[in-house]
Amino acid sequence: MENSIFVRNRSVPIFIGVLTLLAIAVTVLSEGYGTGALSVSFTKVLGMTLCLCLAALAMDLVWGYCGILSLGHFAFFGLGGYMIGMWLMTARTEQVVRANLQNAVIPPTEAEISAATASQIFSVVGATDWPWMWAASDSLILSLLLVVLVPGLLALVFGWLAFRSRVTGVYLSILTQAMTLALSLYLFQNDTGLRGNNGLSGLQNIPGLETVGQDRISIWFFWGSALALGLAYIGAAWMVSGKFGSIVRGIRDDEQRVRFLGYRVEVYKLFIFTFTGMLCGIAGALYYPQAGIINPDEIAPIASIYLAVWVAIGGRGRLYGAVIGAAVVSLLSTYFTGGRAPNLNLGLFTIDWVDWWPVLLGLGFVLVTLFAPKGLGGLVDVIVRKDRR
Amino acid sequence: MSTLLEVQGISVSFDGFRAINNLSFVIGLPEMRAVIGPNGAGKTTFMDIVTGKTRPDSGTVRWGETGTSLLSMSEAQIAQAGVGRKFQRPTVFEDQTVWDNLRLSLKKPRGPIAALMDRVTEADRTRISEVAAEIGLADHLDRPAGILSHGQKQWLEIGMLLAQDPKLLLVDEPAAGMTTEEREHTTALLKRLAQNHAVVVVEHDMEFVRRLECRVTVLHEGSVLAEGSLDHVMADQRVIEVYLGR
Repeated sequence: MENSIFVRNRSVPIFIGVLTLLAIAVTVLSEGYGTGALSVSFTKVLGMTLCLCLAALAMDLVWGYCGILSLGHFAFFGLGGYMIGMWLMTARTEQVVRANLQNAVIPPTEAEISAATASQIFSVVGATDWPWMWAASDSLILSLLLVVLVPGLLALVFGWLAFRSRVTGVYLSILTQAMTLALSLYLFQNDTGLRGNNGLSGLQNIPGLETVGQDRISIWFFWGSALALGLAYIGAAWMVSGKFGSIVRGIRDDEQRVRFLGYRVEVYKLFIFTFTGMLCGIAGALYYPQAGIINPDEIAPIASIYLAVWVAIGGRGRLYGAVIGAAVVSLLSTYFTGGRAPNLNLGLFTIDWVDWWPVLLGLGFVLVTLFAPKGLGGLVDVIVRKDRR
Repeated sequence: MSTLLEVQGISVSFDGFRAINNLSFVIGLPEMRAVIGPNGAGKTTFMDIVTGKTRPDSGTVRWGETGTSLLSMSEAQIAQAGVGRKFQRPTVFEDQTVWDNLRLSLKKPRGPIAALMDRVTEADRTRISEVAAEIGLADHLDRPAGILSHGQKQWLEIGMLLAQDPKLLLVDEPAAGMTTEEREHTTALLKRLAQNHAVVVVEHDMEFVRRLECRVTVLHEGSVLAEGSLDHVMADQRVIEVYLGR
């Protein structure tokens, strides 16, 4: 009864099944490999949604299971995006530079190519040299490592300082908001080295895949995102279904009691905070090549709050709840703010959904909190239990 | 009987209020001790100090044969060293099953990696069944702790202490809110435990203390007022004054 995650977490096979069906359906309908019923841009929206679901899954681990209401996890998501973005931009720009200099009378040296690439990338912020933080940007392997290590290190240092001082509850939430705000403001500066408010762009162009169209690349990224989400789901279910999950939920419900049982609560919190920070980094690294652009606005404090709202609407402490919440809310958000939804003419005034979407979201949040405190995922539980009777 | 815990001259003040005033306390292994005293006598603060939640302003707390100081250790380290605590209000993890509650209390490595890799062994299963039988919850292992009765929660918490396999058990008002029958069961359980553990029971109920048939320490205004058998301390003029009002 206790050792297998599939027995203790029945949602795993169902989740993987649904995700696989979705992946097959999207592939069959895609422009790259199927009928073309789904546009490239919509395929990208779906792939990006899976990345947001992955971030929500991390948020559910840290908040829903461990009780740490972090309002800064989107900072880790953004950092993951920046780390892969530096490589994408460097490699891509270098190719363009090489192509331009191909017909030069004197063949350019590597140093000249490097300098020309730098000035191409940084001219928008009035610089021509490589900033130190781009040191790893010419290596894909290093950049992929940094996708995990940089968010992980930030989470580790921040978490160590906060948990060691036993900062909890709303004070911790405020601290995490301050962290993401500070990071965002820092990145907004032109001399930081990450192109200030211009951010990194052209990330949809994958170096080495110039001959492959976006119709196929979008599907590849969709598959990659689905794979990452599926693996993370299995991993998260494994983590929370055993003794570790039991301890972590204990910390959420009565931290002091867990301490008197001999567990070092701070170590557990730090472990899960850092791990979920890394997961968010991976999610961001998959998201931004699909979005094509990242700028400091992405990690504004509101983004992390949205993450918490998705998990709350989806239902805390149940992994599928976080995924459902993130998928439903972010897809609706895309629908309403993307100009797809027709304006509603009420005679006296017209409801423009772009403006009214935040109101609708807020209303939805209030309704869910009042009438379905366990979220949309909680409704799933109700249906499943009825079936069993 | 060897000395297990030796508390020497501890004092602690909160905002100028002396909660504990030059208190000394010794308990051996095995031994049962009841600690009584009116509200505000410092019973809970005393437990907080032993378990590392509160640091005393002065004094020493020594542990075991080697006399290690507990004052430099964290709550988790003290718990690992063998001090188990049961709170006044039953604190069990309500949304987890009785089985889960006992499992996470079992004496096993306490690190996150060890917890992730932990598999339930045959020995764990046996131990959990033993403890569950001891506390009378063998038929409730799969139920969430939240739906247990008040008395059952108290027992589950004692069971969690047992699973931890501590040397010293600090038990705060174990009989609070229990029926007469449940009290008798609890008394028997504590007496059994005291055969091979050091057990400190904080209690208000004199009838319950009498049934424990053990030495009694009376606390008043943060220090020990009297110590000895229940009849001895109850005959003490100062104890009568404290208990029967001034």
